[in-house]
Amino acid sequence: MSTMARGTTPGSPASAPAVPRSEAKAPLRIVASAPGAVSVTGVSHTYDVSGRVTKALEDIDLAIAPGRFVVIVGPSGCGKSSLLMMMTGLTKPTAGTIVCSGRPMTEPDPDVVGVVFQEASLYPWLTAQDNVEFPLSLRRVPKAERATRAREKLALVGLQGFEDRYPHELSGGMKQRVSIARGLVQNPSILMLDEPFAALDEQTRITMGDELLRIWAETGKTVVFVTHSLSEAAYLADEIVVMSARPGRIIDRIEVTLPRPRTYEMMSTPHFAELRERIWRQIRHQVSEG
Amino acid sequence: MAAAFRRSAARRLGGLLSWIGLIGAVAAAWQASLWFGVMTPELLPPIGEVLATAFSLLGRPAFLASVGVTLAEVLVAFVIAVPLGVALGFAISESRYWSAILKPIVFLVFSIPKTIFLPMFILAFGINFGQKVGFGVFSTIFIVLISSFSALDSVKSDHVRVARAYGASPWQIAWRVYMPAMAPILLEAVRLAMIFNLTGILLAEMYASRAGLGQLIASWGENYMLKELLAGILLIAAAAILFNEAVRWFEARCEHWRS
Repeated sequence: MSTMARGTTPGSPASAPAVPRSEAKAPLRIVASAPGAVSVTGVSHTYDVSGRVTKALEDIDLAIAPGRFVVIVGPSGCGKSSLLMMMTGLTKPTAGTIVCSGRPMTEPDPDVVGVVFQEASLYPWLTAQDNVEFPLSLRRVPKAERATRAREKLALVGLQGFEDRYPHELSGGMKQRVSIARGLVQNPSILMLDEPFAALDEQTRITMGDELLRIWAETGKTVVFVTHSLSEAAYLADEIVVMSARPGRIIDRIEVTLPRPRTYEMMSTPHFAELRERIWRQIRHQVSEG
Repeated sequence: MAAAFRRSAARRLGGLLSWIGLIGAVAAAWQASLWFGVMTPELLPPIGEVLATAFSLLGRPAFLASVGVTLAEVLVAFVIAVPLGVALGFAISESRYWSAILKPIVFLVFSIPKTIFLPMFILAFGINFGQKVGFGVFSTIFIVLISSFSALDSVKSDHVRVARAYGASPWQIAWRVYMPAMAPILLEAVRLAMIFNLTGILLAEMYASRAGLGQLIASWGENYMLKELLAGILLIAAAAILFNEAVRWFEARCEHWRS
Protein backbone atom coordinates (compact mmCIF):
# COMPACT_ATOMS: atom_id res chain seq x y z
CA MET A 1 0.00 0.00 0.00
CA SER A 2 2.72 2.45 0.96
CA THR A 3 4.63 2.20 -2.31
CA MET A 4 3.02 5.51 -3.15
CA ALA A 5 4.89 7.51 -0.50
CA ARG A 6 4.74 11.15 -1.40
CA GLY A 7 6.81 14.23 -0.65
CA THR A 8 4.69 15.20 2.34
CA THR A 9 6.29 14.71 5.71
CA PRO A 10 3.79 13.78 8.37
CA GLY A 11 5.43 15.85 11.05
CA SER A 12 5.49 19.09 9.03
CA PRO A 13 4.42 22.09 11.09
CA ALA A 14 0.86 23.31 10.90
CA SER A 15 1.41 26.76 12.30
CA ALA A 16 -0.39 28.73 9.57
CA PRO A 17 -3.59 26.74 9.16
CA ALA A 18 -5.67 29.40 7.41
CA VAL A 19 -3.26 29.63 4.52
CA PRO A 20 -3.55 26.91 1.88
CA ARG A 21 -0.47 24.79 2.27
CA SER A 22 1.90 24.50 -0.59
CA GLU A 23 1.84 20.72 -0.74
CA ALA A 24 -1.84 20.88 -1.59
CA LYS A 25 -0.64 22.08 -4.97
CA ALA A 26 2.47 19.95 -5.14
CA PRO A 27 3.19 18.68 -8.63
CA LEU A 28 1.26 15.50 -9.31
CA ARG A 29 3.45 12.46 -9.52
CA ILE A 30 0.51 10.21 -10.07
CA VAL A 31 -0.39 8.92 -13.48
CA ALA A 32 -3.98 10.13 -13.69
CA SER A 33 -4.97 7.56 -16.30
CA ALA A 34 -3.97 4.53 -14.20
CA PRO A 35 -6.93 2.40 -13.06
CA GLY A 36 -7.91 3.55 -9.59
CA ALA A 37 -6.24 6.95 -9.86
CA VAL A 38 -8.28 10.04 -9.01
CA SER A 39 -7.29 13.48 -10.18
CA VAL A 40 -9.12 16.67 -9.29
CA THR A 41 -7.79 19.76 -11.02
CA GLY A 42 -8.81 23.36 -10.37
CA VAL A 43 -12.29 22.48 -9.18
CA SER A 44 -14.44 25.36 -7.98
CA HIS A 45 -18.15 25.39 -7.41
CA THR A 46 -20.61 28.20 -6.98
CA TYR A 47 -24.34 27.93 -6.79
CA ASP A 48 -27.00 30.51 -6.51
CA VAL A 49 -30.02 30.43 -4.31
CA SER A 50 -32.62 32.95 -5.52
CA GLY A 51 -30.06 35.40 -6.83
CA ARG A 52 -27.49 35.05 -4.03
CA VAL A 53 -24.30 33.51 -5.32
CA THR A 54 -22.55 31.24 -2.83
CA LYS A 55 -19.04 29.94 -3.32
CA ALA A 56 -19.01 26.33 -2.10
CA LEU A 57 -15.63 25.08 -3.30
CA GLU A 58 -12.57 27.03 -4.34
CA ASP A 59 -9.70 25.84 -6.44
CA ILE A 60 -9.44 22.23 -5.32
CA ASP A 61 -6.48 20.20 -6.57
CA LEU A 62 -6.21 16.66 -5.36
CA ALA A 63 -4.45 13.61 -6.74
CA ILE A 64 -4.99 10.17 -5.32
CA ALA A 65 -2.84 7.20 -6.25
CA PRO A 66 -4.45 3.83 -6.99
CA GLY A 67 -5.12 1.66 -3.96
CA ARG A 68 -4.91 4.48 -1.41
CA PHE A 69 -7.37 5.07 1.40
CA VAL A 70 -7.99 8.81 1.48
CA VAL A 71 -10.30 10.46 4.01
CA ILE A 72 -11.68 13.97 3.53
CA VAL A 73 -12.57 15.87 6.72
CA GLY A 74 -13.69 19.42 7.37
CA PRO A 75 -16.15 21.55 9.31
CA SER A 76 -19.79 20.93 8.49
CA GLY A 77 -20.95 22.79 5.44
CA CYS A 78 -17.43 22.97 3.98
CA GLY A 79 -18.49 21.21 0.83
CA LYS A 80 -16.70 17.90 1.45
CA SER A 81 -19.78 15.92 0.47
CA SER A 82 -20.33 18.18 -2.55
CA LEU A 83 -16.74 17.55 -3.60
CA LEU A 84 -17.29 13.80 -3.30
CA MET A 85 -20.53 14.00 -5.34
CA MET A 86 -18.56 15.78 -8.07
CA MET A 87 -15.90 13.08 -7.95
CA THR A 88 -18.66 10.49 -8.52
CA GLY A 89 -19.95 12.48 -11.50
CA LEU A 90 -23.35 13.05 -9.90
CA THR A 91 -22.94 16.82 -9.87
CA LYS A 92 -20.89 19.03 -12.15
CA PRO A 93 -18.43 21.58 -10.78
CA THR A 94 -18.72 25.10 -12.21
CA ALA A 95 -15.00 24.99 -13.02
CA GLY A 96 -12.23 22.42 -13.17
CA THR A 97 -12.01 18.78 -14.15
CA ILE A 98 -12.19 15.45 -12.38
CA VAL A 99 -10.65 12.34 -13.86
CA CYS A 100 -11.05 8.85 -12.37
CA SER A 101 -9.16 5.89 -13.84
CA GLY A 102 -8.44 8.07 -16.85
CA ARG A 103 -12.09 8.91 -17.50
CA PRO A 104 -13.45 12.42 -17.11
CA MET A 105 -16.32 12.21 -14.61
CA THR A 106 -18.85 14.39 -16.40
CA GLU A 107 -21.52 11.87 -15.48
CA PRO A 108 -21.66 8.83 -13.17
CA ASP A 109 -19.69 5.85 -14.44
CA PRO A 110 -20.42 2.79 -12.28
CA ASP A 111 -17.66 0.79 -13.97
CA VAL A 112 -15.15 3.24 -12.53
CA VAL A 113 -16.67 4.49 -9.28
CA GLY A 114 -18.92 2.67 -6.81
CA VAL A 115 -20.75 4.97 -4.43
CA VAL A 116 -21.87 4.32 -0.85
CA PHE A 117 -24.23 6.92 0.53
CA GLN A 118 -25.34 7.86 4.01
CA GLU A 119 -27.96 5.68 5.67
CA ALA A 120 -31.30 4.74 4.11
CA SER A 121 -30.11 4.63 0.53
CA LEU A 122 -31.21 1.02 0.03
CA TYR A 123 -34.50 0.42 -1.78
CA PRO A 124 -36.93 -0.72 0.92
CA TRP A 125 -38.99 -2.72 -1.59
CA LEU A 126 -36.00 -4.90 -2.61
CA THR A 127 -34.28 -7.65 -0.63
CA ALA A 128 -30.58 -7.36 0.24
CA GLN A 129 -29.80 -9.58 -2.76
CA ASP A 130 -31.96 -7.51 -5.14
CA ASN A 131 -30.49 -4.26 -3.82
CA VAL A 132 -26.99 -5.49 -4.62
CA GLU A 133 -28.14 -6.77 -8.02
CA PHE A 134 -29.79 -3.42 -8.82
CA PRO A 135 -26.77 -1.78 -10.55
CA LEU A 136 -26.28 -4.94 -12.63
CA SER A 137 -29.94 -5.15 -13.60
CA LEU A 138 -29.76 -1.57 -14.90
CA ARG A 139 -27.03 -2.85 -17.24
CA ARG A 140 -29.12 -5.87 -18.24
CA VAL A 141 -26.56 -8.35 -16.94
CA PRO A 142 -28.03 -11.88 -17.31
CA LYS A 143 -30.00 -13.01 -14.28
CA ALA A 144 -27.80 -15.94 -13.27
CA GLU A 145 -24.59 -13.92 -13.47
CA ARG A 146 -26.25 -11.10 -11.54
CA ALA A 147 -27.27 -13.45 -8.74
CA THR A 148 -23.82 -15.02 -8.43
CA ARG A 149 -21.98 -11.72 -8.39
CA ALA A 150 -24.34 -10.18 -5.82
CA ARG A 151 -24.07 -13.25 -3.57
CA GLU A 152 -20.28 -13.06 -3.75
CA LYS A 153 -20.27 -9.43 -2.68
CA LEU A 154 -22.76 -10.06 0.13
CA ALA A 155 -20.47 -12.82 1.37
CA LEU A 156 -17.50 -10.46 1.12
CA VAL A 157 -19.22 -7.96 3.44
CA GLY A 158 -20.18 -10.75 5.85
CA LEU A 159 -23.86 -11.06 5.00
CA GLN A 160 -24.04 -14.64 3.81
CA GLY A 161 -27.47 -15.98 4.75
CA PHE A 162 -29.12 -12.54 4.77
CA GLU A 163 -29.82 -12.39 1.03
CA ASP A 164 -33.60 -12.56 1.37
CA ARG A 165 -33.95 -9.97 4.12
CA TYR A 166 -35.60 -6.64 3.41
CA PRO A 167 -33.83 -3.48 4.63
CA HIS A 168 -36.34 -3.02 7.47
CA GLU A 169 -35.30 -6.45 8.74
CA LEU A 170 -31.61 -5.43 8.92
CA SER A 171 -29.70 -3.39 11.53
CA GLY A 172 -28.09 -0.06 10.62
CA GLY A 173 -24.66 -1.65 10.30
CA MET A 174 -25.99 -4.48 8.12
CA LYS A 175 -27.71 -1.98 5.82
CA GLN A 176 -24.42 -0.20 5.27
CA ARG A 177 -22.77 -3.56 4.57
CA VAL A 178 -25.36 -4.09 1.84
CA SER A 179 -24.60 -0.60 0.51
CA ILE A 180 -20.90 -1.43 0.36
CA ALA A 181 -21.67 -4.72 -1.44
CA ARG A 182 -23.79 -2.75 -3.92
CA GLY A 183 -20.92 -0.29 -4.41
CA LEU A 184 -18.54 -3.14 -5.22
CA VAL A 185 -20.79 -5.29 -7.39
CA GLN A 186 -19.64 -3.83 -10.71
CA ASN A 187 -16.00 -4.18 -9.70
CA PRO A 188 -15.13 -0.50 -9.96
CA SER A 189 -11.51 0.39 -9.21
CA ILE A 190 -12.62 3.19 -6.89
CA LEU A 191 -15.07 3.20 -3.98
CA MET A 192 -16.40 6.55 -2.75
CA LEU A 193 -18.22 6.76 0.57
CA ASP A 194 -20.16 9.77 1.82
CA GLU A 195 -20.32 9.69 5.64
CA PRO A 196 -21.41 6.05 5.45
CA PHE A 197 -21.29 5.35 9.19
CA ALA A 198 -22.55 8.71 10.48
CA ALA A 199 -25.89 7.32 11.65
CA LEU A 200 -24.44 4.30 13.45
CA ASP A 201 -23.72 3.95 17.16
CA GLU A 202 -20.11 4.11 18.33
CA GLN A 203 -19.45 0.35 18.63
CA THR A 204 -21.02 -0.45 15.27
CA ARG A 205 -19.09 2.40 13.74
CA ILE A 206 -15.75 1.01 14.93
CA THR A 207 -16.67 -2.50 13.75
CA MET A 208 -17.73 -1.16 10.36
CA GLY A 209 -14.46 0.77 10.09
CA ASP A 210 -12.53 -2.47 10.68
CA GLU A 211 -14.74 -4.26 8.16
CA LEU A 212 -14.16 -1.59 5.54
CA LEU A 213 -10.39 -1.83 6.10
CA ARG A 214 -10.57 -5.60 5.69
CA ILE A 215 -12.60 -5.29 2.48
CA TRP A 216 -10.21 -2.63 1.20
CA ALA A 217 -7.22 -4.85 1.94
CA GLU A 218 -8.90 -7.80 0.20
CA THR A 219 -10.01 -5.90 -2.90
CA GLY A 220 -7.23 -3.32 -3.31
CA LYS A 221 -9.66 -0.58 -4.36
CA THR A 222 -8.92 3.09 -4.10
CA VAL A 223 -11.14 4.45 -1.31
CA VAL A 224 -12.26 8.05 -0.93
CA PHE A 225 -14.11 8.48 2.35
CA VAL A 226 -15.86 11.60 3.65
CA THR A 227 -16.49 11.95 7.38
CA HIS A 228 -16.80 14.58 10.08
CA SER A 229 -15.28 12.26 12.69
CA LEU A 230 -11.61 13.00 13.33
CA SER A 231 -10.99 9.65 15.05
CA GLU A 232 -12.54 7.80 12.15
CA ALA A 233 -10.35 9.76 9.73
CA ALA A 234 -7.15 9.06 11.67
CA TYR A 235 -8.05 5.40 12.20
CA LEU A 236 -8.86 4.58 8.58
CA ALA A 237 -6.72 6.78 6.37
CA ASP A 238 -3.45 6.54 4.51
CA GLU A 239 -3.89 10.23 3.96
CA ILE A 240 -6.22 12.81 5.47
CA VAL A 241 -7.35 15.76 3.40
CA VAL A 242 -8.46 18.66 5.61
CA MET A 243 -10.84 21.21 4.15
CA SER A 244 -11.59 24.75 5.29
CA ALA A 245 -14.99 26.25 6.04
CA ARG A 246 -16.93 27.63 3.10
CA PRO A 247 -15.69 28.26 0.54
CA GLY A 248 -14.11 24.83 0.87
CA ARG A 249 -10.39 24.72 0.13
CA ILE A 250 -7.81 22.07 0.93
CA ILE A 251 -5.82 23.44 3.86
CA ASP A 252 -3.82 20.39 4.87
CA ARG A 253 -2.90 16.94 3.68
CA ILE A 254 -1.69 14.64 6.39
CA GLU A 255 0.11 11.38 5.71
CA VAL A 256 -0.89 8.84 8.36
CA THR A 257 2.05 6.64 9.25
CA LEU A 258 0.29 4.36 11.73
CA PRO A 259 1.14 0.78 10.78
CA ARG A 260 -1.39 -1.57 9.23
CA PRO A 261 -3.40 -3.49 10.10
CA ARG A 262 -4.84 -0.81 12.34
CA THR A 263 -6.08 -1.93 15.73
CA TYR A 264 -8.36 -0.39 18.29
CA GLU A 265 -5.43 -0.07 20.72
CA MET A 266 -3.70 2.38 18.36
CA MET A 267 -6.38 4.91 19.19
CA SER A 268 -4.81 5.38 22.62
CA THR A 269 -1.24 5.92 21.39
CA PRO A 270 0.44 9.36 21.52
CA HIS A 271 0.84 9.29 17.74
CA PHE A 272 -2.91 8.93 17.28
CA ALA A 273 -3.60 11.74 19.73
CA GLU A 274 -1.10 13.94 17.88
CA LEU A 275 -2.84 13.25 14.57
CA ARG A 276 -6.25 14.11 15.94
CA GLU A 277 -4.81 17.19 17.57
CA ARG A 278 -3.33 18.38 14.29
CA ILE A 279 -6.60 17.98 12.38
CA TRP A 280 -8.57 19.56 15.20
CA ARG A 281 -6.28 22.62 15.31
CA GLN A 282 -7.02 23.24 11.64
CA ILE A 283 -10.73 22.70 11.87
CA ARG A 284 -11.21 24.57 15.15
CA HIS A 285 -9.53 27.56 13.61
CA GLN A 286 -11.96 27.36 10.71
CA VAL A 287 -14.99 27.04 12.94
CA SER A 288 -14.02 30.02 15.12
CA GLU A 289 -13.33 32.06 11.99
CA GLY A 290 -16.74 31.31 10.62
CA MET B 1 -40.39 -19.05 6.98
CA ALA B 2 -42.81 -21.60 8.41
CA ALA B 3 -43.59 -19.26 11.29
CA ALA B 4 -44.22 -16.42 8.88
CA PHE B 5 -46.52 -18.65 6.83
CA ARG B 6 -48.41 -19.75 9.94
CA ARG B 7 -48.74 -16.12 11.01
CA SER B 8 -50.12 -15.04 7.62
CA ALA B 9 -52.45 -18.05 7.49
CA ALA B 10 -53.70 -17.22 10.97
CA ARG B 11 -54.21 -13.60 9.96
CA ARG B 12 -56.17 -14.65 6.87
CA LEU B 13 -58.35 -17.01 8.92
CA GLY B 14 -58.90 -14.26 11.47
CA GLY B 15 -59.89 -11.87 8.68
CA LEU B 16 -62.37 -14.38 7.28
CA LEU B 17 -63.88 -15.03 10.72
CA SER B 18 -64.31 -11.32 11.42
CA TRP B 19 -66.09 -10.97 8.05
CA ILE B 20 -68.47 -13.81 8.85
CA GLY B 21 -68.98 -12.32 12.31
CA LEU B 22 -69.79 -8.90 10.86
CA ILE B 23 -72.32 -10.27 8.36
CA GLY B 24 -73.87 -12.43 11.07
CA ALA B 25 -74.14 -9.45 13.43
CA VAL B 26 -75.88 -7.31 10.80
CA ALA B 27 -78.33 -10.12 10.00
CA ALA B 28 -78.98 -10.75 13.72
CA ALA B 29 -79.56 -7.03 14.44
CA TRP B 30 -81.88 -6.85 11.41
CA GLN B 31 -83.99 -9.78 12.60
CA ALA B 32 -83.85 -8.77 16.29
CA SER B 33 -85.15 -5.28 15.51
CA LEU B 34 -88.18 -6.95 13.88
CA TRP B 35 -88.74 -9.44 16.73
CA PHE B 36 -88.53 -6.75 19.40
CA GLY B 37 -90.76 -4.39 17.42
CA VAL B 38 -88.11 -1.68 16.95
CA MET B 39 -88.78 -1.92 13.23
CA THR B 40 -91.95 -2.95 11.47
CA PRO B 41 -91.95 -5.30 8.47
CA GLU B 42 -93.45 -2.40 6.45
CA LEU B 43 -90.22 -0.45 7.00
CA LEU B 44 -87.79 -3.39 7.17
CA PRO B 45 -88.89 -6.63 5.49
CA PRO B 46 -87.36 -9.86 6.93
CA ILE B 47 -83.82 -10.46 5.70
CA GLY B 48 -84.75 -13.78 4.09
CA GLU B 49 -87.27 -12.10 1.79
CA VAL B 50 -84.81 -9.35 0.86
CA LEU B 51 -82.11 -11.90 0.00
CA ALA B 52 -84.61 -13.87 -2.09
CA THR B 53 -85.49 -10.64 -3.94
CA ALA B 54 -81.79 -9.95 -4.49
CA PHE B 55 -81.34 -13.37 -6.11
CA SER B 56 -84.41 -12.91 -8.28
CA LEU B 57 -83.18 -9.44 -9.33
CA LEU B 58 -80.02 -11.05 -10.68
CA GLY B 59 -82.24 -13.05 -13.05
CA ARG B 60 -84.31 -10.08 -14.32
CA PRO B 61 -83.16 -8.73 -17.71
CA ALA B 62 -84.38 -5.19 -16.88
CA PHE B 63 -82.25 -5.13 -13.73
CA LEU B 64 -79.23 -6.54 -15.54
CA ALA B 65 -79.62 -3.90 -18.24
CA SER B 66 -79.49 -1.20 -15.54
CA VAL B 67 -76.41 -2.83 -14.05
CA GLY B 68 -74.84 -2.75 -17.51
CA VAL B 69 -75.56 0.96 -17.98
CA THR B 70 -74.15 1.93 -14.59
CA LEU B 71 -71.15 -0.37 -14.95
CA ALA B 72 -70.32 1.17 -18.34
CA GLU B 73 -70.59 4.70 -16.94
CA VAL B 74 -68.48 3.83 -13.91
CA LEU B 75 -65.78 2.10 -15.94
CA VAL B 76 -65.51 4.82 -18.58
CA ALA B 77 -65.34 7.55 -15.93
CA PHE B 78 -62.77 5.54 -13.96
CA VAL B 79 -60.59 4.86 -16.98
CA ILE B 80 -60.62 8.57 -17.82
CA ALA B 81 -60.29 10.01 -14.32
CA VAL B 82 -57.48 7.88 -12.88
CA PRO B 83 -54.88 8.09 -15.69
CA LEU B 84 -55.80 11.70 -16.42
CA GLY B 85 -55.56 12.63 -12.74
CA VAL B 86 -52.23 10.85 -12.30
CA ALA B 87 -50.77 12.40 -15.47
CA LEU B 88 -51.99 15.89 -14.57
CA GLY B 89 -50.85 15.44 -10.96
CA PHE B 90 -47.33 14.50 -12.07
CA ALA B 91 -47.19 17.27 -14.66
CA ILE B 92 -48.22 19.87 -12.08
CA SER B 93 -45.82 18.50 -9.44
CA GLU B 94 -42.88 18.46 -11.83
CA SER B 95 -43.15 22.16 -12.62
CA ARG B 96 -42.39 24.48 -9.76
CA TYR B 97 -44.28 27.27 -11.51
CA TRP B 98 -47.50 25.32 -12.06
CA SER B 99 -47.24 23.72 -8.61
CA ALA B 100 -47.27 27.14 -7.00
CA ILE B 101 -50.34 28.22 -8.98
CA LEU B 102 -52.40 25.05 -9.29
CA LYS B 103 -51.80 23.01 -6.13
CA PRO B 104 -53.61 25.49 -3.82
CA ILE B 105 -56.50 25.66 -6.29
CA VAL B 106 -56.80 21.87 -6.43
CA PHE B 107 -56.89 21.70 -2.62
CA LEU B 108 -59.51 24.45 -2.45
CA VAL B 109 -61.76 22.83 -5.04
CA PHE B 110 -61.30 19.43 -3.37
CA SER B 111 -62.95 20.77 -0.21
CA ILE B 112 -66.14 21.79 -2.08
CA PRO B 113 -68.84 19.09 -2.14
CA LYS B 114 -69.07 18.13 -5.81
CA THR B 115 -72.79 17.27 -5.53
CA ILE B 116 -73.80 20.94 -5.66
CA PHE B 117 -72.51 21.14 -9.24
CA LEU B 118 -74.85 18.37 -10.44
CA PRO B 119 -77.61 20.72 -11.67
CA MET B 120 -75.02 22.61 -13.71
CA PHE B 121 -73.90 19.37 -15.34
CA ILE B 122 -77.51 18.65 -16.28
CA LEU B 123 -77.94 22.13 -17.75
CA ALA B 124 -74.73 21.79 -19.71
CA PHE B 125 -74.87 18.15 -20.86
CA GLY B 126 -78.45 16.94 -20.38
CA ILE B 127 -79.07 13.65 -18.64
CA ASN B 128 -77.36 11.25 -21.04
CA PHE B 129 -74.47 8.78 -20.68
CA GLY B 130 -71.89 11.52 -21.25
CA GLN B 131 -73.24 13.65 -18.43
CA LYS B 132 -73.00 10.73 -15.99
CA VAL B 133 -69.43 10.01 -17.07
CA GLY B 134 -68.54 13.69 -16.91
CA PHE B 135 -69.91 14.03 -13.41
CA GLY B 136 -68.13 10.82 -12.37
CA VAL B 137 -64.81 12.16 -13.66
CA PHE B 138 -65.43 15.52 -11.96
CA SER B 139 -66.23 13.79 -8.65
CA THR B 140 -63.11 11.62 -8.86
CA ILE B 141 -60.29 13.58 -10.38
CA PHE B 142 -59.46 15.81 -7.41
CA ILE B 143 -58.72 12.94 -5.04
CA VAL B 144 -56.54 11.39 -7.75
CA LEU B 145 -54.69 14.68 -8.26
CA ILE B 146 -54.04 15.09 -4.54
CA SER B 147 -52.90 11.46 -4.22
CA SER B 148 -50.53 11.93 -7.15
CA PHE B 149 -48.98 14.96 -5.48
CA SER B 150 -48.28 12.98 -2.32
CA ALA B 151 -47.17 9.91 -4.31
CA LEU B 152 -44.46 12.01 -5.98
CA ASP B 153 -43.53 13.60 -2.66
CA SER B 154 -43.04 10.12 -1.22
CA VAL B 155 -40.20 9.35 -3.64
CA LYS B 156 -36.93 9.94 -1.77
CA SER B 157 -34.34 12.00 -3.62
CA ASP B 158 -31.67 9.72 -2.11
CA HIS B 159 -33.20 6.77 -3.95
CA VAL B 160 -33.15 8.66 -7.24
CA ARG B 161 -29.54 9.68 -6.64
CA VAL B 162 -28.49 6.07 -6.04
CA ALA B 163 -30.02 5.06 -9.36
CA ARG B 164 -28.26 7.91 -11.14
CA ALA B 165 -24.95 6.96 -9.50
CA TYR B 166 -25.36 3.51 -11.02
CA GLY B 167 -26.05 4.90 -14.46
CA ALA B 168 -29.85 4.54 -14.66
CA SER B 169 -31.57 6.18 -17.63
CA PRO B 170 -34.54 8.49 -16.95
CA TRP B 171 -36.81 5.68 -18.10
CA GLN B 172 -35.19 3.22 -15.68
CA ILE B 173 -35.47 5.76 -12.87
CA ALA B 174 -39.19 6.10 -13.62
CA TRP B 175 -39.87 2.35 -13.65
CA ARG B 176 -37.37 1.06 -11.12
CA VAL B 177 -37.50 3.84 -8.51
CA TYR B 178 -40.57 6.04 -8.92
CA MET B 179 -43.09 3.28 -9.64
CA PRO B 180 -42.31 0.94 -6.72
CA ALA B 181 -41.96 3.88 -4.32
CA MET B 182 -45.30 5.35 -5.38
CA ALA B 183 -47.24 2.10 -5.79
CA PRO B 184 -48.79 2.01 -2.29
CA ILE B 185 -50.11 5.56 -2.52
CA LEU B 186 -51.29 5.16 -6.11
CA LEU B 187 -53.18 1.97 -5.26
CA GLU B 188 -54.83 3.76 -2.39
CA ALA B 189 -55.75 6.48 -4.89
CA VAL B 190 -57.38 3.85 -7.12
CA ARG B 191 -59.44 2.61 -4.19
CA LEU B 192 -60.57 6.06 -3.11
CA ALA B 193 -61.19 7.06 -6.72
CA MET B 194 -63.67 4.20 -7.15
CA ILE B 195 -65.56 5.24 -4.02
CA PHE B 196 -65.84 8.87 -5.20
CA ASN B 197 -66.66 7.74 -8.74
CA LEU B 198 -69.46 5.37 -7.70
CA THR B 199 -70.94 7.94 -5.37
CA GLY B 200 -70.94 10.62 -8.06
CA ILE B 201 -72.46 8.46 -10.77
CA LEU B 202 -75.15 6.85 -8.60
CA LEU B 203 -76.14 10.27 -7.34
CA ALA B 204 -76.35 11.64 -10.89
CA GLU B 205 -78.56 8.67 -11.82
CA MET B 206 -80.81 9.12 -8.82
CA TYR B 207 -81.19 12.83 -9.43
CA ALA B 208 -82.14 12.69 -13.10
CA SER B 209 -81.77 9.70 -15.35
CA ARG B 210 -83.60 7.34 -17.68
CA ALA B 211 -81.50 4.29 -16.86
CA GLY B 212 -79.04 2.84 -14.41
CA LEU B 213 -78.96 1.45 -10.90
CA GLY B 214 -79.27 4.85 -9.26
CA GLN B 215 -82.41 5.54 -11.20
CA LEU B 216 -83.82 2.11 -10.14
CA ILE B 217 -82.97 2.74 -6.49
CA ALA B 218 -84.64 6.15 -6.58
CA SER B 219 -87.80 4.83 -8.23
CA TRP B 220 -88.03 1.83 -5.85
CA GLY B 221 -87.85 4.30 -3.01
CA GLU B 222 -90.47 6.62 -4.48
CA ASN B 223 -92.79 3.66 -5.13
CA TYR B 224 -92.28 2.16 -1.68
CA MET B 225 -90.84 -1.11 -3.08
CA LEU B 226 -88.83 -1.84 0.04
CA LYS B 227 -87.76 -5.39 -0.76
CA GLU B 228 -86.31 -4.33 -4.12
CA LEU B 229 -84.81 -1.19 -2.61
CA LEU B 230 -83.02 -3.09 0.17
CA ALA B 231 -81.96 -5.86 -2.20
CA GLY B 232 -80.47 -3.23 -4.54
CA ILE B 233 -78.65 -1.59 -1.66
CA LEU B 234 -77.22 -4.95 -0.55
CA LEU B 235 -76.02 -5.82 -4.05
CA ILE B 236 -74.37 -2.45 -4.70
CA ALA B 237 -72.78 -2.50 -1.26
CA ALA B 238 -71.42 -6.01 -1.87
CA ALA B 239 -69.94 -5.02 -5.25
CA ALA B 240 -68.33 -1.87 -3.84
CA ILE B 241 -66.87 -3.71 -0.87
CA LEU B 242 -65.56 -6.48 -3.12
CA PHE B 243 -63.69 -4.02 -5.35
CA ASN B 244 -62.31 -2.14 -2.37
CA GLU B 245 -61.10 -5.27 -0.61
CA ALA B 246 -59.51 -6.63 -3.79
CA VAL B 247 -57.45 -3.46 -4.21
CA ARG B 248 -56.59 -3.46 -0.51
CA TRP B 249 -55.35 -7.03 -0.79
CA PHE B 250 -53.15 -6.00 -3.72
CA GLU B 251 -51.98 -2.95 -1.77
CA ALA B 252 -50.95 -5.13 1.16
CA ARG B 253 -48.91 -7.31 -1.19
CA CYS B 254 -47.16 -4.26 -2.65
CA GLU B 255 -46.27 -2.61 0.62
CA HIS B 256 -45.04 -5.55 2.69
CA TRP B 257 -41.71 -3.69 2.79
CA ARG B 258 -43.22 -0.65 4.47
CA SER B 259 -43.58 -2.07 7.96
